Amino acid sequence: MKSPRCLLFAGFFFWFVFQTAIAQNAPVVAQSEVAGTAQTAAPATSASGDEATIPGPLRSFLRMAGISQKATLQEVLPLLARNVVIDGYHGPQDRPGRPTEYLILLMRYVQQARELQALAGPEGEIRVGNCEQAAPLLAVLGYRFRQECAKDPSLEAANSERAFLTIDSGFPLSELEESLRSAKIFKYPFPATKVPVIFTQNEWAANDKNAATGRNADVVDLLLRNRNLARLYWGISRIDAETANDLRQSPGLGKLLPYAPALDFYGSQICIRSGKVLVPGGPAAESAWKELVGASPESSAEFVTALLAKDAGWAATYFDTLSRVSHARQAYFADPHRLQVFYRALRGKDLSPGPTRPVFRPAPGLLLLATNLQLDPDGQPHVPGSLAVWKDIIHRKGESKIVGEWTARAKGWKNPEQLVEALVAFSRVGDEQSPLQVYLVLSEMDRVRPPEQRLSPQTVTLLAEKFPRFSNQYLFFSEFHDLNNDSITAFLKLADELDHIHNTALRANAVGLFQANTSLWQILARQGQIPSAELNPSWQAAIHPFAGITSSEQLFDAGRSSLREMYTAVTGKREFSQDDLVELLAGPGQVSADGRRVRQELATRIRAVLTGQRLASLDTLFALGDGMNQMANGQPLANVLLPLASDLKEFELPRTLFTAGERTEWAPGMPANPHTALQARTDLTKIIKSSPSPKELMEARGLLTPFLRDTLVGLNYAYYEPPGAQMLHNNPVFVRSHDFSGQMTAGGEQSWQIASLFGSGSPAAGGAHLAGSLADLPFVLARVEQDFIVPENVQALIWPQVVPSLMTGAVLPRWWRVTRNELHAVTLYQRTGEELLAAAAENEKLRPLVMDILSDRMFPQGSEYVERSLAADNLPQVLAAVTPGQTFYLAAEFRRRFPDQNDYWRAAGRELDDLSRRYPSETSWERLSEDFGVPHPAMEGNYSRALLDVKPFPAFMGYASRLLAESWDSNNLYWARLADEKGYSPVMLNLLVPELTRRMIEKIFASHFEDWPALLNAMRETGEEFRQGKIASLRPMGPG
Amino acid sequence: MTKRSLFLFLFFSFLVGGAAVWLRAQDNQANIRVKVELVQLNVAVMDHKGGYITGLNPSDFVVLEDGIRQKIATFGEGNEATRTLIEGPEEGKSKSADEGAAPPASDGASGLRSAMMGANVFVLFDTSNYMYHGFVFAQDAIADFVRSLEGPDRIAFYSYSRDLSRASILSPDRSQVLRGVRSTVAGDDAALYNALLLTVKDAGQISGRKVVVVFSNGPDNSSMVPPEDVAELAQSKGIPIYMISTREAKLEPVSATVFERMAAATGGEAYFAKTWRDQQKAFAAIRNDLAHLYTISYYPQPNPNRGWRAITVKIPGERGKSVRIRTRDGYRPLPTMAPSPERAAQEGGLQ
Repeated sequence: MKSPRCLLFAGFFFWFVFQTAIAQNAPVVAQSEVAGTAQTAAPATSASGDEATIPGPLRSFLRMAGISQKATLQEVLPLLARNVVIDGYHGPQDRPGRPTEYLILLMRYVQQARELQALAGPEGEIRVGNCEQAAPLLAVLGYRFRQECAKDPSLEAANSERAFLTIDSGFPLSELEESLRSAKIFKYPFPATKVPVIFTQNEWAANDKNAATGRNADVVDLLLRNRNLARLYWGISRIDAETANDLRQSPGLGKLLPYAPALDFYGSQICIRSGKVLVPGGPAAESAWKELVGASPESSAEFVTALLAKDAGWAATYFDTLSRVSHARQAYFADPHRLQVFYRALRGKDLSPGPTRPVFRPAPGLLLLATNLQLDPDGQPHVPGSLAVWKDIIHRKGESKIVGEWTARAKGWKNPEQLVEALVAFSRVGDEQSPLQVYLVLSEMDRVRPPEQRLSPQTVTLLAEKFPRFSNQYLFFSEFHDLNNDSITAFLKLADELDHIHNTALRANAVGLFQANTSLWQILARQGQIPSAELNPSWQAAIHPFAGITSSEQLFDAGRSSLREMYTAVTGKREFSQDDLVELLAGPGQVSADGRRVRQELATRIRAVLTGQRLASLDTLFALGDGMNQMANGQPLANVLLPLASDLKEFELPRTLFTAGERTEWAPGMPANPHTALQARTDLTKIIKSSPSPKELMEARGLLTPFLRDTLVGLNYAYYEPPGAQMLHNNPVFVRSHDFSGQMTAGGEQSWQIASLFGSGSPAAGGAHLAGSLADLPFVLARVEQDFIVPENVQALIWPQVVPSLMTGAVLPRWWRVTRNELHAVTLYQRTGEELLAAAAENEKLRPLVMDILSDRMFPQGSEYVERSLAADNLPQVLAAVTPGQTFYLAAEFRRRFPDQNDYWRAAGRELDDLSRRYPSETSWERLSEDFGVPHPAMEGNYSRALLDVKPFPAFMGYASRLLAESWDSNNLYWARLADEKGYSPVMLNLLVPELTRRMIEKIFASHFEDWPALLNAMRETGEEFRQGKIASLRPMGPG
Repeated sequence: MTKRSLFLFLFFSFLVGGAAVWLRAQDNQANIRVKVELVQLNVAVMDHKGGYITGLNPSDFVVLEDGIRQKIATFGEGNEATRTLIEGPEEGKSKSADEGAAPPASDGASGLRSAMMGANVFVLFDTSNYMYHGFVFAQDAIADFVRSLEGPDRIAFYSYSRDLSRASILSPDRSQVLRGVRSTVAGDDAALYNALLLTVKDAGQISGRKVVVVFSNGPDNSSMVPPEDVAELAQSKGIPIYMISTREAKLEPVSATVFERMAAATGGEAYFAKTWRDQQKAFAAIRNDLAHLYTISYYPQPNPNRGWRAITVKIPGERGKSVRIRTRDGYRPLPTMAPSPERAAQEGGLQ
C-alpha cells in the first residue's frame, strides 16, 4: 500500500516493517479469503457486536490509513492499529515518540471526514445543486473556483492542507466539476461505516487514561492516539478467538498492556483450549514448560503473563519458535531435559538486547535451526564431519562474545546435543558468519548424501575455513549432492587460486568467467542434461582449465575450454556455435510440437537479451581467437578477420548525458567502469591492419577475454530473465557493468558473495549494476527488475520483501521432465484435499484428523477459523481460506498417515488412488515436491525445489525477510492445476508460470508484506482471468 | 518451400503491424538485424526572438541522416492534416537485395495515415515524496493542461513514485483523464527514469505523433535505468520529451542537467517552474509548441551504420541563418534478432 505514511517512511522503512499474520474477526467472516493462509482467524468480536464508526466512505479512510481496498471490515481496525504501531511515531517502539506525517494526516483526515459528514446530514449524502451551494463544501475541501463559477466551474486548491486530504482520500473532485458544468446535482454518498471491534470499545477505553468511556468511547481515536494500546490491539487481533476471549477474562487487557510488544511479536502461537495453554511438545512437555515459565499451562492467565514477562521476552521467543515447527520437531526440542538446557543456552547471561525492542524481530537463527535440524536414524542431531571438527570451528570463530563464551566448553563435548545447545546460544548472534550459519549451510549440503558421499571432516574443515569468503558458492553443493568431496575441494582450491591473481583486471575476468561457466554447468545439471554419472567428471573438467592462469590470452583459452567440456558432457560433441549453446540452455531437446515450440521461444528470449546487451557473439570471439592464432603462425588471414574484428568495434557505450566531471561530482563512489571502457577502446581492426608480430597477435587475443566473460555472464542473466524485465533489454551495459573486481563497489570487494546492487537512484551513475558473484543471480535480477511491474490497483505496491522470491520461484524451475500424469496428479492432490475438507464438514470423526494435519501448516488462528467453518458446514468459506499448498499437503499427508482410510474419497480421491497405483513414481510426494516446489536459498541455502511442510515464516531483519516469501509455495501448484484443467501440455508451464506470476504480482493489493490473503487473492484472480482467456499475452498459445 | 524461403516467410510474418524497414546485418552468421521504422521528426522552427515560424513547405527543409540526404515522406504543420509526399518503400524501390532491406509487412500507408492524426500526449506525473508540498497545485496545473488541449489529441495520464501507475490510458475523453489526475495518491520513493522508460515504451507502440510530458520535482532515488537509456529509446522511437521541473534548476543540478539534455536530445523542451503560475506557463508553452511543430517523416536511405545515426534538419539559404531549429539529434536503430533459417526450419517452432 502506498499511503501518506510513505512520505516519511518510504523505502528503507518498509524493508524492516514486520508483522505476522493478518487479522480478521471471526464469527461472521465476510470474505473468507482473509482467513486464507493459515495465519488468520478471528480475534473475538464482542458478544454484543460492538462496532466502531469510521467517518465517511470506507474507501477514503482506507486510502488515508494505508490499508488495502480489499481489506474486509473485520480487518480494518487491526490494520489501522498495525499501521499506527509501525508507521505512526518516530523513535523506538518502547518510548513515546512524536507522530509521523502519516499519523498527522490521518488524524486530520478523520477530522475533515467528520466535517463532511455533518454536511451530508442524516441522509448520509453530500448534495450540491449549483455554484452557491458548493461554497460550504469547497471550504471544507480546501478548494475554490478558478474564476466565476457560472463561466467555468473548474476548481483549484485554496487551502493546500485541506486540499491534500481531499485529493489523497479520493474525493471525486472531477465529478463535482462536471456536475456543476452540466448543471446537474452532484450527489456523493458520504455514509459513516461501521466496523467490528475486538471485545468492546469501553474495554479498550478503560485502559487509556485519557479516553472517554461509555457512549463516547471511540476506538478509532484511541488507536490513533495510543501507540501501546494499538500494539496490544494488533497483537490480540492475531490470536485465535478462544484464546483471545480467555485472555480477555483473565488476566485482562490491563495486565497484558505492559507486554504488548511481546504479545505482538510472539503471541500469535499461544493457544488456549478449555482454559489450558497448549504447549509445544504437547502434554508430555507441560511439566517442563511449567518449570521453565514458572506457572502451569493449566492456569492460562498466569502462564501467559509469566511467559510474556520472563527474561525480557526470551521465553516468549522460545515458546513461539517451538510452536512454529512440526510436531515431530517439537517432540525433540521440548523433551524435558533439552527444553531447559536449550533455553538456558538461548537466554545466556545477558538478556540484552531483548527480542522485543527492535521494530522487527531479531535474528531468525533459532527458528531456522529448529526447522532444519537433521536427526540421524539414532535420533541424534546430524553433525557434518565430526564433533571434533566443530569444536575446532567454534574455537576459530570465537570472536563474538557469545561464541567466545562457548569456546572453552566445547573442548569437553561428548555428544552432538552439546553442539546443538551451543548453536541455540549462537542463534542470538546476528552475524551471518556465525558457527550456526556454518552449521546450517553445511548440514544442508550433507543432507541426503549417501553415507559414502558424506562430507569428510577435512572437507568440513575446509568449507568452514573458507566460509566467510565462499559461503554463497556452496549453493552448488547443496543443490547437487552428487558432487563429492573431491569436487568440492577442487572448487575451493581453484577459487582460492583465482582470488590470488595479482592483476585486478585479470582476476576480475578470471573470477567472472569461472563463475559464469560454473553457473552454466549448474543450469545444465539442473535441467538434467548432464547425466548423474557425469556430474563429478564434468564439474571437474569445467573448472580444471582455470588452474594456473597468468595472462588474459591464457584465460581466454581456459574459458573456451571449460565451456567445451560442459558442452561435450551434454552432447558428446566438441564443437558448437553460440546458437547451439543457447538452445542447450533453453532446455533439453524436445520431441513434441509443444516442446519444440516452447524451447524455441525460450531460446529466442535468451537471444533477445544477448542482443539487447549488445554482447559479442561467441562465434565471432572464437573465430577471431583461432584466426589470430593462425595469423601468429604465419597464415595470411587479415582480410578474413577484419570483418569479424569490426563486429567487436560496433559495441558503443550509450551516449552519455554527463561530462566526466559531472559524473565524478554527482555520482561519487561510482567511477566509470574500467572493464566497459576497455571494451569501448578495443580496436582489433587497427591491430590486425598494423602487421603485428606473432607476439603482439597473441597478446591481442587477450583483448577478447573481457568480451568472452561478458557473453558468458550474459547467458546467465538471460537464462534467469525475470518476467517483465526491462533492464536486460534497455540498459545495454547492464551485463558488462557486473563488477567482479570491487573497483565499482563502495563496500569493498565481494567477488564471491551474493551480488549487491549499486547505482540505483543515481542518475549520473549510468544505471544500476551488480557487484559480487553470480550466486543467487535469479533472486538478485528479480530485485533489479521488480519495480518495472506495474501494479494494477491504485496505491498498491510491489513489495520488495516478497516479490523477488515469487519471481525466482517462477523463473528458476523448469518443467521439461514433467509428465501429463504428474501434472494431473498435482490437480488431483489439490482436489482431494478439497474433498477431504468437504467430508470433514459433514463428518465429525474425520474433522480432527484433518485439522491435526492442517495445524502443521496453519497458525492457531487460521486453524480455529477453518475448524469453526467446517463445524458450521460452510465449505465455500473453508475452500476460500485454504491455500493450494495446504490442500495439496492435506491430501498427501492424509494418504500417508491413513493409507487404508479411503472411505472419504470422492471422485478426485478415487482417481488419485488409481493414478498412484498405476504410476507410483510420477505421483509421489518426493517427485511432485521436486518439480512443483520452490527453491529456498535463504531458508535452506539450497536451490533445489521442494514443498516444505512448514507454517508461514514471519519476517525478520535483513536478509531474513526473504524467509517469509520462501515459505509461500502455493503458486506453482496452482498454476499447474490451471494448466492441467485447461488441457495444456506440461512443457507449457515453462512459459505459463512466469507470465502468470507476473500478472499475479500486478494484482497484489496488500496492506503489508505479510498480507498472505492478498497473495492468495491475487493468485486466484489471476487464475480466473486465465480461465476466461483474458490474459492477452497467454491467449494466443492455447492448449497444446 | 526451401529452408531459406521458409525463413524469409516466417521472418516477414513477424513484421505485421508496423511500417518498418529491416536492414540485414552484414554477414550471414550474425543474426542480428537493425530495425529502422519510418523516422518521424517533430521540428520546431523559431526566429531569434523565440517566435514560431509558420507556413514553411517541405521543400524548405533539408533532412540529413549521417550526412545522407533523406526524402521527406510526409509533412505536416501543427494540428493540420499531414500530407503524404512519397509512398512507403514497399511500393517504392528500397527492396534491393544487396541492402537486405525487407519491406514492412503491413502497408506503409498505415504508418502514414496515423501520422495525420492528432498528437498522443502522455503525461507522467511525479507523486513521490519529493512532490509532497506542491502536490495539489501540481495537480491543478495538470488538470488545466488537460482541459486546454484541443483538437483530436488523445491523452494518457500516468503517475509514478517507486512504481508506475497507468491512471488513465490513452483516450480522447478529457473527463476520464481528469479523473485519473485527481485519483493520484502521494508518497514513496521516486523512480522517474524507470517510469519514463515504461511511458516511452507505451508511447512507442502508438502510431502517429506522440509526445511525453513529464511533470516532476526532479530527484530520482530509486531508478535502475539511467536517463541515457531512456533518452536513446525516445530518440529511436521519435518521441519528444517535455520536462517540467517544479523546482529551480540550481537547487538540483543533476536533475536540471538531465531535464535539459534529455529534452534537447529528443526534440522537446525543459522548463523550471517553481510556482504554480510558472507551471501553467510551462504547460501553455508545450501546448503552443504542439500546435506549431512541423511533422516530417522519412524512410531512411540505405545506411550501413548499425550504431548511432545523427540527424540534421536544416533550412538552406539565407533564411536558415536566422532560425533556430529544434528536433531530436539522432537515433540508434533498435537491434533485433532472428533465428537462423536453419534453426527456424529445424524447430518448426514458428507457425
